[in-house]
Order: sequence, then C-alpha cells, then structure tokens
Amino acid sequence: MNDEKRSASLAGSGKLSGGDYTRVSISGAGKVSGDLKAEALKISGAGKVEGKTEALQIAVSGSGAFAGDVVSDEMRVSGAARIDGVAKVKELKCSGSYRVKDGISAEYVKISGVLRVGGDVEADLFKASGGFEIEGLLSADKLEIRPGGRCYAREIGGERIDVRRGGHRERGILLDGLVRMFSGRGTAELKANVIEGDEIHLEDTTAEVVRGKRIEIGPGCRISAVEYSERLDVHPDAEVKDQKKV
Amino acid sequence: MKDDKLISKKDVLERMGISYGQLYRWKRKGLIPEAWFIRRSTFTGQETFFPEDKIIGRIEQIKEMKGDHPLDDLADVITQQVDAKLRVAFDRLKSLKWLDESVLETCRIDRVEDRPLTIQETLCLAVLSRLRRSARSEELDLVQKTLRERLDAGLLDRVTDENLQLYLLRKRLSGSGISAEISMVIVAPAKIVVDPEIEQVEVVDLAHLLERIKLDLAKETDIGSPEEASPRDTEEER
Repeated sequence: MNDEKRSASLAGSGKLSGGDYTRVSISGAGKVSGDLKAEALKISGAGKVEGKTEALQIAVSGSGAFAGDVVSDEMRVSGAARIDGVAKVKELKCSGSYRVKDGISAEYVKISGVLRVGGDVEADLFKASGGFEIEGLLSADKLEIRPGGRCYAREIGGERIDVRRGGHRERGILLDGLVRMFSGRGTAELKANVIEGDEIHLEDTTAEVVRGKRIEIGPGCRISAVEYSERLDVHPDAEVKDQKKV
Repeated sequence: MKDDKLISKKDVLERMGISYGQLYRWKRKGLIPEAWFIRRSTFTGQETFFPEDKIIGRIEQIKEMKGDHPLDDLADVITQQVDAKLRVAFDRLKSLKWLDESVLETCRIDRVEDRPLTIQETLCLAVLSRLRRSARSEELDLVQKTLRERLDAGLLDRVTDENLQLYLLRKRLSGSGISAEISMVIVAPAKIVVDPEIEQVEVVDLAHLLERIKLDLAKETDIGSPEEASPRDTEEER
C-alpha cells in the first residue's frame, strides 16, 4: 500500500481509479472511477468523475461531468460542467454552461454563461450576466443580475436585489451566441414568482409578487403585486397592477 | 393538541424588527429549518408562513446569541450536521441541569468523568430526566432502549424536521379477575391518535428538547473566544 499522494495526468483516453491525489489533469477523454479527492483537478478535454469530487481547485475548460456531489474552494468553468448532485463551492465562476441537478451552496457565484439548477442556489454574493434557470430559491445577501438571456428563478430572496439591463453588452459575440443558443430566444429578461428583499431595483422583470422595504420598479417590468414598507418608485414604462404599503 | 398557529413572513419581520436579508441569511446558514417555511397561495400571490411559536422563539434565540457568536458557529451548533461531533462534558451538563444522577444508571452510560458525551446520549439523558418522576424504572429502561437504538440509526436527523415526540403510554387490560398493564413507547410526529383506553403517561417534545439542549450548550460554549475554549472545543471545529 502506498499512502503517498500521487498526481495523475490523463492524456488521450484513459481511466483513473478514485482516491487521494495532488493534481489530476484530464486532457483527452478521461474517466475517474469512484470518489476523487485532489488538490487540483483540471479538465480540458472530456472528463467524468463517477463518484463524489472533492478538490480545492477545479478548472473545466472542456466538458466535465460529475456523477456525485462536488465540494471545492474554487471552481472555474469556461466549457461545460454538469453535476448530478450538490455543488458546494466557495467561489464559482462560470463563463460557459453549468448544470446542477440538486443545488448550489456558495459564497460567491459569478455566471456570465448559462446556469441550470434543479434546486436552490445559495450564496453571499450572486452575480449573473448570462442566463439562468433555477427551479427553487435563489438567495443571496446581494444579487446583481444583468439578464443576458432568459433568467428564471421560482423565488428570489435577499438583502439587496439589483436587476438591470445590459448583460449582453458586456459579453463578446461568441458568448452571446452561446447564451442565446442555450436559453432559446434572444429575450433578455428575468422571470420569478416571488421576489423579496430589503432594497430592490428591477428592470425587464416579470413577477407575480415583489415584496420589500425600498423598491424601484424600472423600465420593462410587469409585476402583478408589489408590497412595500417604506418606499416605492414605478417607472412610466413599467406595469404594476397592484401596489400596497404594508 | 391543536394545530400550530401560522404567521406570515411579513408579520414575522415586522414583529421581530428584522429584515428580509437577515431572514434569508439565517435560512441559508441553516438556522431556520426548511420545514418551517410553509408556502401558501393567498389573494395577494404566493406567501410564506411559519409556525408562529417556533419561528418567534427561534428568532429571539438567534438575536440573543448572535452578538456573542459568529453566525456560522451558531449555525454549527443548531444545524444537524455537527450533531455527531458535538460533545458534551458531564460537568457542563450538570451545571446546565440536564444531568440527573439517578438516570445515569438507567442510561447505561459509563461514568467516566472526562469522557465527552455525544448529543445522542445527551438527548437520551434529558428525556429520561423528564420522565423520571412519572415513569416506572422498567419504563425508563424501555425508553432508553428505544431511543438509543433509534438515535444510532439516524433518528436524530429527523427529530427537528419531523417534529418528533416521544409518547409513554399505558393500557390496562382486565378480565376474569386478572389484570395486567402494558407500557408502550412511541416516537412519532405530533398529534397521534390513540384509543381512549390508553393512558398517556407523558409526552416529551423531542424536537423542542433537542433545540433547548443545543442552544443552552451554545450559550455555555465559548466557541468565539479562544482563551476560554478548551483544546477539545477547538479540535471539534476542524
């Protein structure tokens, strides 16, 4: 038995058995059978981990598939990553496509590509300039959303929620195309059933209920009901059916 | 046993003087269980409600304690992931009045002064202390067996989520001049219905008890200040 940690590099096509590694690099088509523990995992080809993944740093620039939960301090995706479990990542940056079956729990999330999550997304700071589809609750202390495609979350909650036009201007043409391809039509807007926060600024947003302390409903919004406790401003190009001070 | 009274989210915020940001943050940190968020459709659109007594009590506790402990540490104490790791020293238990010397024997816990107790053992002790006056010794033993066995099998994780209660029941059977009494121990969510001939000797709210234990311990444990923390405490934070 060798308890010494190893590093491994798969180029071409290969299979690696799970275990404890220092650095793992997959540049061809590689598979890791079982749970993987590593200091750094780099996938630049097509990589698949068939168990749970624990790595301080993960970089995916090709396509990465994770059959179990992913736990990491820092994960960067510029290709496509798919996680069939929960992503517990302190810092998550994605400029490609990121799909998670169950949920994301993070400190910092920055999405300029496309995000699809079957459950909740939790973060201290959430920034998105691409598109996303979140089936559950999107919650963060601070949310900055610049819709660059279709954005949807069943519920959004946090302290400061800031949704503004202009995500697509910050992206290049290629990425813009990618976002459009994944998100369907070219519409850049946010949809949610419920949005709740202390300071809310919305643009291009469709929601059933918006609740908060200080709320600004900007251009392009269609909101069925707004409940506010301190202040409400509605832009002339916005539609608010019902408003109530509580 | 009546239904928990519900309170809407905005009433909670107003009454407790907290913000949406705080509520969502506490939820994220696991300080408020998912099960307490009850979503209902109302005429003003979807709204979230909470069991009133629970949420108000919990927020009071959080507000009271958050000055002394960082939120993450507080979460560590209240959330269930660390239950297994939480150890309690006998003397500390005694000072918190969770420890009743007479039940130690029933609980079959080796009395080693310095050995820390698991949260399972602590809960078991607390339950037995509650029952000590009303239950017979063989019933205490039955409770002890039920709890220890099930707690090891993962019951602890379900206690808060499912609002589990422990019922101690007795039923007297008599006929042809002989009578016998049987005792039953049931662990089930609140509001069980039993036949009218059954006597409910005692009902222990496990969820509430577990919460009290953890919160009391959290108050006692100085997680935040290194000069007071014993080496054991710091080790467990790893």
